[in-house]
Amino acid sequence: MEILLQTLINGLLAAGVYALVASGLALAVGVVGIVNFAHGEFLMIGAFVSYFLFTAQGLDPLISLGAAALAAFAVGAISYYGLIRPVLAAPELNQMLLTFGLSIALQNLALLLFGADTRVVSPPYQGSTVSLLGLSFGLVPFASFVLSVALLSGLYWFLGRTRLGFAVRAVAQNRLAPGLLGIETQRVYLLAFGLSAALAGVAGVMLSVMLYASPTIGFAYTLKAFAIIVMAGLGNLRGVIPAAVVLAMAEAFVSTYVPGGGGWVEAVFFLVIFVSLTYRSWRFR
Amino acid sequence: MKLTVSDLTAGYAKAQVLFGMSLELGQGELVAVLGANGAGKTTTLRAISGLIRPWGGEIRLDGQSLAGLSAARRAALGLGHVPEGRQLFPLMSVEENLLLGAAFLAWERRQESLEFTYALFPRLSERRGQLAGTLSGGEQQMLAIGRALMGRPRILMVDEPSLGLSPKLAEEVLATLARIKAEGMGVLLVEQNVALSLEVADRAYVVEHGKVVLAGPAQELAQDERVQKAYLAL
Repeated sequence: MEILLQTLINGLLAAGVYALVASGLALAVGVVGIVNFAHGEFLMIGAFVSYFLFTAQGLDPLISLGAAALAAFAVGAISYYGLIRPVLAAPELNQMLLTFGLSIALQNLALLLFGADTRVVSPPYQGSTVSLLGLSFGLVPFASFVLSVALLSGLYWFLGRTRLGFAVRAVAQNRLAPGLLGIETQRVYLLAFGLSAALAGVAGVMLSVMLYASPTIGFAYTLKAFAIIVMAGLGNLRGVIPAAVVLAMAEAFVSTYVPGGGGWVEAVFFLVIFVSLTYRSWRFR
Repeated sequence: MKLTVSDLTAGYAKAQVLFGMSLELGQGELVAVLGANGAGKTTTLRAISGLIRPWGGEIRLDGQSLAGLSAARRAALGLGHVPEGRQLFPLMSVEENLLLGAAFLAWERRQESLEFTYALFPRLSERRGQLAGTLSGGEQQMLAIGRALMGRPRILMVDEPSLGLSPKLAEEVLATLARIKAEGMGVLLVEQNVALSLEVADRAYVVEHGKVVLAGPAQELAQDERVQKAYLAL
């Protein structure tokens, strides 16, 4: 019973970061209309910003969050302006090859600059645990979860309650009309893509403490974010949170209850994609 | 406010559609642009509102050239465009669609504009909470026009509003354009339904192969032998 409860909590806590990364990807896919394979690399950038600010300046990751968000936003905005915008009207295959290429380029650039080592950000509270209702869990995963919930609430507030968010939702639903209504669609795309990257960058800071920073850390998260948005329905932002919970829970259960589960965890996302695509093709045929 | 299009050439990729299109539209005027499918009517509107870049020629608003301005900038100058196919936001409610029309052009006056639009189209008022994607064709057309009005345009361009509507509904929608004109706006109506358009319009241009072949007061054109033969099947 206690193991079950612990598993549920582990799953829930992990879901926060997943939802953050996947919401970012859903913005890129749903608003800008770009299947971005380089999404995880924005996360990697956030992780390295956190690492270098911590080692060089002694900055707490909590403070690095803002810097990482800004850095990822900037890299995202530049990628949009220089790379994505010219291919917006191109066939989807070209777009995917482009973002795939961007992913490889950023990974190898990081490899060249920082080497392949994994680097952990270890603030003094890294190993602390929190006890709540007789259960204990790590302070860092707990804080990451709370922060993710807060950030996602902010995102939903922005999209639902502000005029600019209104414009973002409009552009996601129709590409032609917003311009005629006085909305500078290019700026909305730029903002959405930048935000998408910033969400990944923030998640990267959290992972730099929970896991580590490395040039290849983003890849697994790109795949998991894809699993989540496929489950949610491509570009459907509302479905992202429940889908993130499902993936994180599935991973937690596999890790706890499947013998040798630790090794299988990284394959769960694939099962999730497989099952949701199969289910959809059954239901909507 | 006066819209002047002179000697416009435009097209898509290598296919030229407009071959020296010219027209004028003044305040408080309802002008129809008539012609067969593929004559260049929609392309003309798209070039005016900045959805495509013309190859040559000039588009001026009160003498000021619109060259290089984005669609959003032109909308802010007072150009409203109800595009082909309505282009609504299907997953938003009727009222959200309308409010978006005002959001970046005339947000402070949105309440006033809503009242005006609902008075013009009482059906929209009844369905204000309904998702736009679930409206009937006629209601969608009303919503598309209403949404463009929310930005307080001084010139309204409407692309094929009667497409897919019953004759009765088509008549109703075109009659509304006459009421919009009466508010002092200039209305540029693009239509394939020549008979109906000539009834509501003050003036009309007949377009063939990307340029105007005939122009004049609507009543005169309705009596013109060539128009009767080619478009009115008389």
